Amino acid sequence: MDVLSPCGAQSRRFKSLAPRPGGLAGRAVGILDNSKPNAGVLLAGVAELLAARAGAGPLRTWRKPASAQPAECLDEIARSVEVVLTGSAD
Amino acid sequence: MAAVVLCTDEFEALARAEALARGLPQLPLVTVTHPIGGTPPHSVRAKAALVVDQVIQALTTAPAVSVSGERGEEEAETLEAPTDPDGLQAWVLEQGWGDGLPILPPTPERVKALLANTGRDPDEVIAVLPPRLGEATVRTLAVNAALAGARPEHLPLIIGAVEAIADPAFNLPAVQTTTHPCSPLLIINGPLTARLGIASGTGALGPGPWANAVIGRAVRLALQNVGGARPGKEDRATLGHPGKYTYCLAENEAASPWEPLSVERGFGYGTSTVTVCASEGPHNVNDHGSITARGIVATLAGVAATSGTNNVYLEGEPLFVLGPEHARTVAGDGWSKADLKQALFAAARVPLSRFSPENLERFAALRPQWFQGASTDAAVPIAAAWEDLMVIVAGGAGKHSAFIPTFGRTRSITRRIEE
Repeated sequence: MDVLSPCGAQSRRFKSLAPRPGGLAGRAVGILDNSKPNAGVLLAGVAELLAARAGAGPLRTWRKPASAQPAECLDEIARSVEVVLTGSAD
Repeated sequence: MAAVVLCTDEFEALARAEALARGLPQLPLVTVTHPIGGTPPHSVRAKAALVVDQVIQALTTAPAVSVSGERGEEEAETLEAPTDPDGLQAWVLEQGWGDGLPILPPTPERVKALLANTGRDPDEVIAVLPPRLGEATVRTLAVNAALAGARPEHLPLIIGAVEAIADPAFNLPAVQTTTHPCSPLLIINGPLTARLGIASGTGALGPGPWANAVIGRAVRLALQNVGGARPGKEDRATLGHPGKYTYCLAENEAASPWEPLSVERGFGYGTSTVTVCASEGPHNVNDHGSITARGIVATLAGVAATSGTNNVYLEGEPLFVLGPEHARTVAGDGWSKADLKQALFAAARVPLSRFSPENLERFAALRPQWFQGASTDAAVPIAAAWEDLMVIVAGGAGKHSAFIPTFGRTRSITRRIEE
């Protein structure tokens, strides 16, 4: 028998990914900490290694005040750094 | 600005679904082994070292797949399903549309019948539901209502509940995907409860009341199917609770000594409303002895002052469901609902000694006025203010009430239901 799908249309259009820089030497790196436990430790650990291994820097950190709400600092981050590391979920 | 997203392997499916829903399936994602929360910092730093090369690659190399400017592939609206009940049930579960309980087939004829009770355009988009960003049209909600076994007269309430849940203040993107076991609890007020037979008395939270079961289930299925929060995939609830099958009751206005929730929220007595709360399962409050309001408050507060809720560090609107007998005891001392809330706010305090040092440090960043620099014999309230506590009256005979904590980073929403 015929049945109707309960899912409905998905409301999206594909977007282009921001271009990647060819290298990280001298590139400002941002961390957007999603406020989940130890997210800041993981992201900072990666960022410090980017500085040590690939010459990235300076480093700058932003932190969402709450993990369960969107960040409000995205425009500022985009203006301030060239690459950003962030976390998703736990 | 080139970005890379880090997450643990347990949450990779959710992160990919969120990226896809935002039109960025090629967003680089680098995973570490789960967990990182609740583990020593040195072990987290060790995981960072394991993935730094992948991060460098993700930030400096264009991904292999390039997609832009096109709409995602449309999903089929009509499919062919088995006709025998067992075959249909297995097939629906394979599609990922069900919740494990038996369903009824959403045939075009059944859906058309469900739509007959609403004057709204079937193609009207009621809400866009995360994380999939699916469009919940009136028709799509009717399809989910058909799956759940709901009746045509239930559809306006189902639509109203989904509208309320999609209010930004409810914070559905977080509620749909959290590890916390919250599910939208639907609290119905007004004349609609009698017309639809929504139970408010004995056993109101189940099992048994048909309207409660199918209305709550239709909303849950819509959130799963349209919103794409599939259990174990995008819905990351660590344990969940049975309210994620269905969670709906009416306030027992006839047995309440106070104004109903809808009137508290500014609606008239003759108006039907639905209030949605992102709620845990109920914690029972057994008090067979107290004969004063203060006695009932002591027991309610004792259950509510628990260190393991989200409310204790995220605040929000925890809910007290007073059984009618407890409500009468409280009101019998001349207390209003506001008096009760103020007393509960003062009494339901969690001693700091009940929290680990690591949690005290985390919570100090979120509620510094209560956790930062406080002595260990201090105690914290379960909400920001007494006005944030919610109180309704529901249930039948017996000396039981319930305390229902919430997700915390969410506000309850009340909407009028057009009948």
